[in-house]
Amino acid sequence: MDSSNVPEFTPKHGVPPRLRDYFTGASSFQRQLASVRKQTPFGQTPSRRKIPQCSPLQENIDPQKIAFLLHKQWTLYTLTPMYRFSYTNLKQYSTLLKCFLAAEKQKGLAVEMGEDFNFKVTFSTLSGMKGTHRDPAAFLIQIVSKSQQSSKNAEDKVVWTGWFCCVYGDSLLENVPDDFTCLPLFLANGAESNTALIGTWFQKTFDCRFTRLTISAFNLSWMAAMWTSCNMEHYGTATELLWSVPCSPQSLDISYAINPEDAKALWDGVHQTPEEITQEEVDLFIDCLCSHFHRHFKINLSATRLVCVSTSVASAHTDGKIKILCSKYLIGVLAFLTELAIFQIE
Amino acid sequence: MYGTSQLWVAGRWGRAFADNVSSNWWSLKASRTDPGLARSVNFMSAWEAGAALAGVIGMDEIVAEFIRRTILKIPVAEIGKILRIWNFIPESQLKTINLKQCKENVSQDVVELCKKKRASMKEAAILDIIYHQTCQIKKIWTVYKMTKAPGEEVDLSDMEEFKDSFKKVLQRALKNVHISFRDSEDTAVWIRIAWGTPYMKPNQYKTTYMVYHSQTPFVFISHCRIKKYIPELWQALMTAGNYHKIQQMELRSLYLDSLKAIVFKQYNQDFQTYCLTSLEEENSEVEIVDPRIIHENMKEKERIQRVTRETFGDYVQPRIEFAQYKLETKFKTDPKNGILAEREEPFRCLVKFSSPHLLEALKSLAPAGIADAPLSSLLTCIPHKAMNYFTIREK
Repeated sequence: MDSSNVPEFTPKHGVPPRLRDYFTGASSFQRQLASVRKQTPFGQTPSRRKIPQCSPLQENIDPQKIAFLLHKQWTLYTLTPMYRFSYTNLKQYSTLLKCFLAAEKQKGLAVEMGEDFNFKVTFSTLSGMKGTHRDPAAFLIQIVSKSQQSSKNAEDKVVWTGWFCCVYGDSLLENVPDDFTCLPLFLANGAESNTALIGTWFQKTFDCRFTRLTISAFNLSWMAAMWTSCNMEHYGTATELLWSVPCSPQSLDISYAINPEDAKALWDGVHQTPEEITQEEVDLFIDCLCSHFHRHFKINLSATRLVCVSTSVASAHTDGKIKILCSKYLIGVLAFLTELAIFQIE
Repeated sequence: MYGTSQLWVAGRWGRAFADNVSSNWWSLKASRTDPGLARSVNFMSAWEAGAALAGVIGMDEIVAEFIRRTILKIPVAEIGKILRIWNFIPESQLKTINLKQCKENVSQDVVELCKKKRASMKEAAILDIIYHQTCQIKKIWTVYKMTKAPGEEVDLSDMEEFKDSFKKVLQRALKNVHISFRDSEDTAVWIRIAWGTPYMKPNQYKTTYMVYHSQTPFVFISHCRIKKYIPELWQALMTAGNYHKIQQMELRSLYLDSLKAIVFKQYNQDFQTYCLTSLEEENSEVEIVDPRIIHENMKEKERIQRVTRETFGDYVQPRIEFAQYKLETKFKTDPKNGILAEREEPFRCLVKFSSPHLLEALKSLAPAGIADAPLSSLLTCIPHKAMNYFTIREK
């Protein structure tokens, strides 16, 4: 390996995270990540990818937990590596984060550690939510508001959920130093104010930084192709592409929904290389759909903007919102999102 | 300018019991206090009993609540205007309402004044119609076209006869149904129907609205979620209007006036007058164009402008918000790649266009370089064909 790829930063044990660097915007950990990421030619994304596969490790995930993650709208974030995060301290993090949130909600007034609040915070690992054994374990945080009623039937309500994962990240990351945990993808569901508070606590505690992950039209067309290529026993919804037309003075949205079996037939006509999807195939798939559309309406979709893709596997919006619908391809969807997250951290 | 007429069709039970106010008073109280008893007297319809009592004990609470909620729906700026059109509360009392306070208080003040005048559901329904006439983009309207039987094309029906016959037919079919009419400025009648059954009071919050222009075969309907009475509605409409058949035109919009402009071809007339003048104007434009612009470019731009004008005219388009196309055509792309060339079955798609002002948006596509000029007739035919829902198959 080229020595220039070896991370320069040597973590000093016992030294608190360098907050000054964080505030000046030039975090050492950002520099760190740039060197952690495998070197690819500047700005280039892979021109071929594997067809989403079911990971053997996925069998280890509690099916109830998977069901909980499906059909929810998640807002995507990228996360720089966490400094001195430890899976053995999850219980302690729960308490600390709970106190932090309680203090924030009381506008900075100190709160007692043992105090009973009307909500609780839980950290739990999502074992099996990984592509290879080298991926760090995913974990989940939930804020549960305790029911006000004393009756035992009253259920606690989950008000906020967030989870951190890294699926097939090892092929894109160089050796991550021992003191760092790299879970580049963070998904949140719940009030944005809670996401912001929890983000602040993570920044303070692990000197990491959250950024919204947006999905370009280019990557959306990859998703359209990859998810159409998946073999489904039965299709829940149509393959729908939503295009936004930047015309003035009135905006125009065009929803182009294709019967999922017909979309698969088109994909099979386009697809050549087994087990892989190439950039050319993605382009051809979208071009074919655009030209079929043009034949009817004389509108060039290529001059408009693809903003949303939804299929029976998942749906994704350019502003970084995603819904995963099919448990079989959960890992495949997360692998692509992990890749996008790693490439967006600059 | 505005005339109102109204019919409250009470059920047989309701009418029978309305004769005996004291027994109604008892059943009303009973239904509120004892659920078991309420079930046994429910078929008498406590609500009707309450309505019958309104004249004796002041305004019904249900009417008060309906008026309160109607006022809350109205935008603040329109409340004064709508109350004046309603003309139920005298002007002198209207002036006492402070329209600058919060809406909740305004609605309470209006309810108090209505209580003094003992408003009934009859008046309250008219207030609701005026609200929908004034604030029109709250409902999706669907256009229906009716046809006469052969040999009966001459229409001599009178609007009053139409209303009378319409309510009689519906009343016979459903017993408990609350129908209100209100004439609008453009010779149309607005019909509001609150549905009930022989055993259930009409639901004033789930109403069907219809707008009917006499001497025309078109009726504009905004359905409520209750759709099971559509056969009865068609029966009443066709009997009253002396029509033979009714069919839905695939045309829907939030903008009733635009739908009228499209089906009454007001749109087309404007269009033709425009076309005669457009060609003359064009010559003067050529002179002011910068001569350095490449000739072909300019020619092409001109052509796009001309074609767009020929297609859409130069005035504001009728306003609709969506169009939908179900495509069941053969898949065709570039013949070079031959993808799916052998496939015989149609490639099934559903394409939806949506915009705050769809036709204006479509008009701007070719000049912006996003579409070819002329645009596909599938899109430009919307106003001429008076349709915005299509199924497209191979010829």
